Amino acid sequence: MRVLLIEDEVRLAENVASALRDGPGFAVDCARDGEIGLGLARNLCYDLIILDLMLPRLDGLSVLKRLRSRQDHTPVLVVTAQSEVGSTITLLNCGADDYLSKPFDLGELLARAKALIRRGKGVAHPTLQAGELVLNTLEQTVLRAGSEITLSPMEYRILEYLMHRPRVIVSKQELLEHLYDYNWQHHSNVIEVHVSNLRKKITRTDEALASGTSIETLRNRGYRLLLSRTPGTYADDGRDGEA
Amino acid sequence: MKAYSITRRLIIMVLLVELCSAVCVSGVAYIYERHDHFRAFDILLSGRADSVVGAVQSSDDAQDSLMLDGSEIDIPHDDIYDVRDATNRVLGHSAEVVDFAQAFRPSPSRADKIDPDGDEASFGNVEFHGKAYRVIRVLGVRVIDPGEKGGMRRTVVVYYGSPVHRVWKAIYRAVTFYALSSLVVLAVTGVLMSWLLNRGLAPLRALASGAAAVSVTSWTFDAPASARMTRELSPLVNALESLLLGLQQSFEQQRRFVGDAAHELKTSVAVLKSSLQLLGMKPRSQQEYHAGLERCLLDCQRMEQLVAQMLTLARIEETDAKSAGEHSSDIYACLQDVSSQLVTMAEANEIHLVLVGEDSLYAALDPGQLKLLCTNLLMNAMQHSPSESVVTVKVGKTDGFAEIRFCDAGDGIDAADLPRIFERFSRSDPSRSRNTGGTGLGLAICKAITDKCGGAIKISSEIRNGTTVLVRIPLSRPGRVDAVQPLS
Repeated sequence: MRVLLIEDEVRLAENVASALRDGPGFAVDCARDGEIGLGLARNLCYDLIILDLMLPRLDGLSVLKRLRSRQDHTPVLVVTAQSEVGSTITLLNCGADDYLSKPFDLGELLARAKALIRRGKGVAHPTLQAGELVLNTLEQTVLRAGSEITLSPMEYRILEYLMHRPRVIVSKQELLEHLYDYNWQHHSNVIEVHVSNLRKKITRTDEALASGTSIETLRNRGYRLLLSRTPGTYADDGRDGEA
Repeated sequence: MKAYSITRRLIIMVLLVELCSAVCVSGVAYIYERHDHFRAFDILLSGRADSVVGAVQSSDDAQDSLMLDGSEIDIPHDDIYDVRDATNRVLGHSAEVVDFAQAFRPSPSRADKIDPDGDEASFGNVEFHGKAYRVIRVLGVRVIDPGEKGGMRRTVVVYYGSPVHRVWKAIYRAVTFYALSSLVVLAVTGVLMSWLLNRGLAPLRALASGAAAVSVTSWTFDAPASARMTRELSPLVNALESLLLGLQQSFEQQRRFVGDAAHELKTSVAVLKSSLQLLGMKPRSQQEYHAGLERCLLDCQRMEQLVAQMLTLARIEETDAKSAGEHSSDIYACLQDVSSQLVTMAEANEIHLVLVGEDSLYAALDPGQLKLLCTNLLMNAMQHSPSESVVTVKVGKTDGFAEIRFCDAGDGIDAADLPRIFERFSRSDPSRSRNTGGTGLGLAICKAITDKCGGAIKISSEIRNGTTVLVRIPLSRPGRVDAVQPLS
């Protein structure tokens, strides 16, 4: 998951970004003012925007209004030191999804961020289930039929993203956009390696042809999380490099 | 203290004036009526006396003496008279016998005037049986047996008196009429005035209720049109409006400052809190903890600086403006002092500090505040200067003001940001956006200092060409030099 953090207070931005990276393992981009933030958000690669209200050049409320007026439905969590009820109402009515007043609890911020991302993808519970796979976003653990699978952070993030969007074809580009921030040098084959490793870990080796959960590679299109696999759709397996 | 009512006072005043004039009218009426009535009465008396004289006839005795024929006389029953001939023999008298000769004292003033037929007449007042009488004394001449012989001239003295109470009654009635009419006018005026004044003072009441609607929460003052159109009230309306506007602006400014201060403090707390929470999110190595604590300490220092600057600003605003004139601080010495303190920082950034201008100029400003002002502006100039550049401070003098210019060769400030640059916590304060640890209060403090001492501060900037801050401070009277004390 990738988060855009628009906050002019550098130290606060640093702390929140570290917490988001260390905790739920999100990719985070920081913007120092409203205009930069608005420009970054144009890429539509964010799963959540955390927005401060008092910003140089373009204030938070205007950023929010412009986002919504250009049909950007990315969840927005507003963080501000203004605590009047009136401003809260205005904010929510202008399209903000949640609201947190400074000084906030970092844990609460993370929880709200996760909840907003979840909701944005149409999921209500922090535990995701796909077939016999159970992914707990709080503990960041993955269980297959009751037994835990150990995944690397990147593999976990890929699986988390795919499980939020079951049966949907997710392109490699989308995965790159949503899992890495701008500081990352884009190498598309990184994704291929990770997906390949992930598939090996979550797919049962003993009863490969039986019903189970796996990741399907669709040539030139991307990946898809399959809940129950039928033998016929296994054709592309092992050709990740051409995807 | 009893409430003072303009209406009541005006009514009472007008009624008092009317009462006085009523009393005067009654007095004048009294004098006039008395004069008039007594004049008529005297004529009446004289007429009656003449008729009494006319009733004197010769008796047919040998001496051709006179007699009064009582049947000829038709006079009111309570009148008194007495007729005598030259020998003082009584010819006749009224039922009441009065010794006129003794009681009568003529008042000579009117004797000549009231004498219609040439008889000698004089008037006097007589009191008889407790009643006041007006008495006329007529010397009448009767000619007996007029004929070829010419007849005999006989002189008679007639005293004729009539009680004056009827005259007084008439006078009293006339005066009472005037007095009562005046009282009626008085009462009507009172009622009419209270009604008219009520109507006339309606704009004042409207203004009062308009002013009463102004409260701590609602500053809108709708001056009623009636009050605004009243010449006497329009200055009051204008004064109220400008007062309220000024107060509102000042309150608004205070509110904004409090809001901004709260925002800044909350943000600072948020930074510190998040730093600590981030540190506690997962187990870390000792080095990481150390680094984290260092950061927390830096955050703390920033907050400390913010609080200190807010307090400084508050203290400067509290300073009495008048006391500024009592100070005298050496500007050049202060600038030298400040630049010697900043020289290490300048060297570290490879910036050259140049101080030029007039020596021995004394500013009418607290030395501590002058130092704070110079430090803030010089620091700003240095922070925005690229390395290998020059920061120039020029000191000069123009008509009673010291002028200090701080020039840097930095990036300059966007023209759109200039008007708001002196506002507290101004977002365009370059010290914020460049993250030099500024709080956004530095320039606000400078402005507060110059405003308090009656000076001015101006900033002009060109993008990529640098910024010049011009400070004007009033010069002090020579002869006073304060020692520099740090503003704590």
